[in-house]
Amino acid sequence: MHKTKVLKFSLLAGILCSSMTTLALADDVSAAKVQKLIDAADSARKQAAEVGGEWRDTSKMIKKAKALLEKGDFVAAAKLANKAAKQGHLGYEQAMSQKELTLPSYLHYE
Amino acid sequence: MKHLLRKLTLLVMTCGFVASAQATTPEEDLAAFQSFFKKRFPNVETQDFINGAYAIDPVGRENWEAIEEFPPYEPFIDEGQAMWEAPFANGKTYKDCFPDGPAIRGKYPHWDKEKGMVMTLPLALNNCRKANGEKPLKYKKGPINNILSYISYESRGQITNVEIPSDDPKALEAYEAGKKFYYTRRGQLNFSCAHCHLQNAGMILRTETLSPALGHTTHFPVYRSKWGTVGTLHRRFTGCNKQVRAKPFKAHGEEYRNLEYFLTYMSNGLPLNGPGARK
Repeated sequence: MHKTKVLKFSLLAGILCSSMTTLALADDVSAAKVQKLIDAADSARKQAAEVGGEWRDTSKMIKKAKALLEKGDFVAAAKLANKAAKQGHLGYEQAMSQKELTLPSYLHYE
Repeated sequence: MKHLLRKLTLLVMTCGFVASAQATTPEEDLAAFQSFFKKRFPNVETQDFINGAYAIDPVGRENWEAIEEFPPYEPFIDEGQAMWEAPFANGKTYKDCFPDGPAIRGKYPHWDKEKGMVMTLPLALNNCRKANGEKPLKYKKGPINNILSYISYESRGQITNVEIPSDDPKALEAYEAGKKFYYTRRGQLNFSCAHCHLQNAGMILRTETLSPALGHTTHFPVYRSKWGTVGTLHRRFTGCNKQVRAKPFKAHGEEYRNLEYFLTYMSNGLPLNGPGARK
């Protein structure tokens, strides 16, 4: 009877330990991944800023993503970081597309 | 035949490119810009464009005229006069920097050949303060608006006459940079300044009439009811950029200085009427 109890307890402790380790590992991986996404978003923002094409909310999104990461809300942080990265890329592309001055066709030069 | 078609297509494409990338002189730009508004609003007297949206919105004008009976910017003019007359810690005043003052608004912006940059009035005022050991003023909000209100009030009636000196190619470069800024799409909404204030001037955006760009620079600084105070032209540039969801540039940094140079040049010939009152 006593032997069975010890076995049950050991089994339970083992399961608990392994699941905690798995969880911690998952947390580490997610945090590192999200940090990478945030870094990528910041690089994209900087690239856009260098050509004067940064959008209004990109840096705010990155700041918010960092705060969410610190809170442990990895999913929301990753989502926001991806959104910010997209804004950075689009801002850069927009500035590149506007490199040449095109005067509006409705302005009539005599 | 195919060969001929290809050649023709190439020719048409090349011609299109040349037309879109053609260089225009400031004088040509000015003529095209002002003629656009005269054709767009044939019933508006040219001089009335200094009144912004109130030149084209009769209901808004009535409200504005009522507001002008007790101008909300008046206390700022008084404060500005006190600032102008008050000596700095070293005993000197603004008058020592600007002997022709206080009616000096019409001299700005101008090309400063020595510094190789566009000199704006707020920048010159801060240069004066720094030269006299005073802390520079903030460029968007606060006391800078008082002294600008006083100077602008004293300068009412002066004619906008921005010059682009031909003896310094850098001046033309600054003008061109300002022009490029004006026609460049930016921000998440993908708008340029021209989209709202040239192409769509007079149209309604939500509840507001989009003001024509012609005359945009004459009435600054401006008391905006939305702000509940007087604000500078570069504060307005910042607001416009934010509205199209672009990150604004530094007030009196190179981008906005050049923009002011171009935009003020476009209002050449119009009288100054600052400070103004707007919604």
